[in-house]
Amino acid sequence: MALTEPIPPLTLDTPTREALAELLLSLADDEFVIGFWDSEWTGIAPMLEEDVATSSIAQDEIGHARALYELLADVTHDDADQIAFGRAAGDYRHAALLNHARGDWAFTVARRFLYEHADAVRLEALAHSSHEPLAGLATKMRREESYHLMHWDLWMRRLADGSGEARPRLEAALARCLPEAGTVFTPLVGEDRLLNAGILTDSLETLRSRWLERVTPLLAELGLGAPNADAPHPEGRTRRTEDFTWLHSEFTMVARSEEGALW
Amino acid sequence: MTHSGNVNAPDEELAMHYAREFYGRRQESNRLWVVPRDAIAELDDPDLLKPPFDRSFKKPGGYIIKHKLEAAKARAGSEAQAGASKETA
Repeated sequence: MALTEPIPPLTLDTPTREALAELLLSLADDEFVIGFWDSEWTGIAPMLEEDVATSSIAQDEIGHARALYELLADVTHDDADQIAFGRAAGDYRHAALLNHARGDWAFTVARRFLYEHADAVRLEALAHSSHEPLAGLATKMRREESYHLMHWDLWMRRLADGSGEARPRLEAALARCLPEAGTVFTPLVGEDRLLNAGILTDSLETLRSRWLERVTPLLAELGLGAPNADAPHPEGRTRRTEDFTWLHSEFTMVARSEEGALW
Repeated sequence: MTHSGNVNAPDEELAMHYAREFYGRRQESNRLWVVPRDAIAELDDPDLLKPPFDRSFKKPGGYIIKHKLEAAKARAGSEAQAGASKETA
């Protein structure tokens, strides 16, 4: 008699598997796109030390995206590189908040601050997912994301308390970012199935409320506006911009130069 | 304790972040001490210094230029030879 029974693979019906794939794609694309936007600071960040820090954080996000695309590839029996680089711009599923070019430093800081807190809330929940590979990866990612959160919180405080142009620029950046910040929690088509299967422990709407509870007092403390409490637009993960079309042409350039090449 | 280098930062908090990036992002550090004037600050959180992810993509070592150089030299050599034989012809 065997001492240990082999662990059966998670058996999911097709619609649930498709919903899981949609969830993984949204997570991966968020990390991938924010990572590429912020890599646009390499060489031109406000100071040398920050240049290294921002670039390194951007690389961290690409690393997370890679792990998430690999998880997705396991679910869809696809190739992670193909998913990452082989899609048309319109097929990416990142949140609309991440549709815009890096902007000025204040825009990057404001967007990062809102995104990092959303990501933290999301990862906390995903660490308890019934899809064990995802729970494991979320736990691992949280260990690295805690530093990102510290770093962008720190910059928010500095710009908010800063002299000269810092505060007006931060206010302008927040005015642009806040209405779209909730799109990180855009409901997914197959969300009910994910909740039933325990792949998601909380609805994205619940997570959005949790995120609001967290960022609202932080912004109030700095005397900055409150996030838009309206539900995210249903197209919060499908609407694309010219900015993103440009970024897509940039990050797919090498992959397109020789299709099928081994990396 | 090894002196790793210096960072420019407006205060201790950013000095710590930058020290982590300059001297820890490639997992080369177990602990960092940032010393501004009279204070000694310590960073010993393993999550900050030894993150669990593969960081090989942060190193330039994966890019092997040696083979490309050899190929380029060989190509240049054969072109020079072809040119020389044309001249003598």
